[in-house]
Amino acid sequence: MLEIRAARKIFYKGQPDEKIALNGLNLKLGNGDFAVVIGSNGAGKSSMLNAISGALKLDSGNIVINGDDITEKPVHKRAVHIARVFQDPMLGTASSMTVAENMLLAELRGKPHTLRPGLNARRLSDYRERLAMLGLGLEDRLNTRVDLLSGGQRQSLSLVMAVGGSPDLLLLDEHTAALDPRTAEIVMNATVRAVDALKLTTLMVTHNMQHAVDYGNRVVMLDAGQVRLEIGGEEKSRVTVPDLIGHFSTKTDRMMLAS
Amino acid sequence: MDFIQTTLSSFLSLIPVTLAQSLILGFVVAGIMIPFRMLSFPDLTSEGAFPLGGCVCGVAMAAGFSPLIAIALALATGFVAGCSTAFIHLRFRIHTLLAGILVMTMLYSINLRIMGRSNLSVFGSTTVFDWVPFAQPGFPVAKIVAAGFLTLVVFALLNFFFKTEKGTAVRAVGSNPVMAEAQGINVWAATIGGIGLAGAFSALSGALMVQSQGFADVNMGLGILINGLAALMIGEAIVGKEKVWRQLLAPFVGAIVYYQLVSLCLAAGMPPPDLKLATGLFVLIMLALPSLRGSRRAAGPKESFRE
Repeated sequence: MLEIRAARKIFYKGQPDEKIALNGLNLKLGNGDFAVVIGSNGAGKSSMLNAISGALKLDSGNIVINGDDITEKPVHKRAVHIARVFQDPMLGTASSMTVAENMLLAELRGKPHTLRPGLNARRLSDYRERLAMLGLGLEDRLNTRVDLLSGGQRQSLSLVMAVGGSPDLLLLDEHTAALDPRTAEIVMNATVRAVDALKLTTLMVTHNMQHAVDYGNRVVMLDAGQVRLEIGGEEKSRVTVPDLIGHFSTKTDRMMLAS
Repeated sequence: MDFIQTTLSSFLSLIPVTLAQSLILGFVVAGIMIPFRMLSFPDLTSEGAFPLGGCVCGVAMAAGFSPLIAIALALATGFVAGCSTAFIHLRFRIHTLLAGILVMTMLYSINLRIMGRSNLSVFGSTTVFDWVPFAQPGFPVAKIVAAGFLTLVVFALLNFFFKTEKGTAVRAVGSNPVMAEAQGINVWAATIGGIGLAGAFSALSGALMVQSQGFADVNMGLGILINGLAALMIGEAIVGKEKVWRQLLAPFVGAIVYYQLVSLCLAAGMPPPDLKLATGLFVLIMLALPSLRGSRRAAGPKESFRE
């Protein structure tokens, strides 16, 4: 369960270019909720995600996951609860290390690192099995350095790494935006399968209105650092792309999204 | 013909001495490799940590401590020096190279303070090389055996460590700090510990050098960094760096080959003052090679380092 209470963040406070990124934002996700976050540029989507992951320190407000107030905790301590897939396929993996080593790092996310040898036969066969489910042939490339993989393969690997160990909260930061349409679909399908199978509480940021309609059980629209609209339950299943676009605040936004 | 013969005979006669020296200096090359390759943290601390280890070891030996205690003290101070560089970089967001220059410069004064003068003879004190069985103390064989044995132990330990869960986490910090942090790895702890370890290796090298040559000198580290880099490049060209064990072996192999090459140049009559210029040019060529080779195509991916 994720709870954001009155989150506030102002950049360049007191300067002419002061910018309110989060303006008392409140959001509550129950266990197993799959929320899709939309909003125009500067609405606060990235700031919200960064505040949850710990990359951004709030001016005021609280963030609580499963009863644990993580507001003051550094990024690496939040990893116990949170797994994240970045937009940039380069960011989510350690490129000079092998596929298996990356899987090991993900398996140990939020756990103590011991002085025992990292990779062993049991782990390798487990990784092979989990990667095989993607159907991309990654299971035969466990000893390949990640920088030799394509962007789609890297992003798929990031996803498998993130959903492993059933994190309390999965953050997806426009994770298919940098991929070609076909690969994006593969990654998106794998995402939905994993989220459904593991009942993961998920927050997915996207600019793709179709994704917002097709996936998840809730849509959250941000504007000026606040939640402007929340659609859930029965209503969510009936919502269409034009409905969503109609809610965007300014005319330019609507035009941009409709094109 | 005559030239070749005299060159060759003096080179051959120098091989054992040079080998002993290069095995000792292999540790400082490892101390340069770990920040550079494992942590993507270009670091200059070794230029100060090497004489620091030497000075601490020299003073401890002169005070009558056992050579092992002297080495342990050198390791500890070198570790602190490395940690300082990493801390300055992380806490004050100062570029890694500048942080290294600061620590290295400050260490010069500290080294002088530790010794109380610019050099100190420890001739006649017991050294670890005296303990090698069946070898006459003071001869290169004893040094080769002792330093070679230590090299094997250190290589085996490093090779074990960097494949453990902790070691994998440290390498992840070097490869992608953002990702490492998101996986719950404490980037500060890994960086400070890793650079500290490297400083300890540089100091170990200095301490062994003092026991080998019989005196400590504040200027003994002059140019060690560029020599170490040259050795590392040669080592990586020979054994490669694609696998962890190859990367870890490279500094030791590189040191052995590099110092034999230096010895060959000196035997051939190259004036010693020219040596630094030659070494510098060599490192420059090795670094420039990828971009020269691919000048028609797009230059390959640049090495990414932390700033």
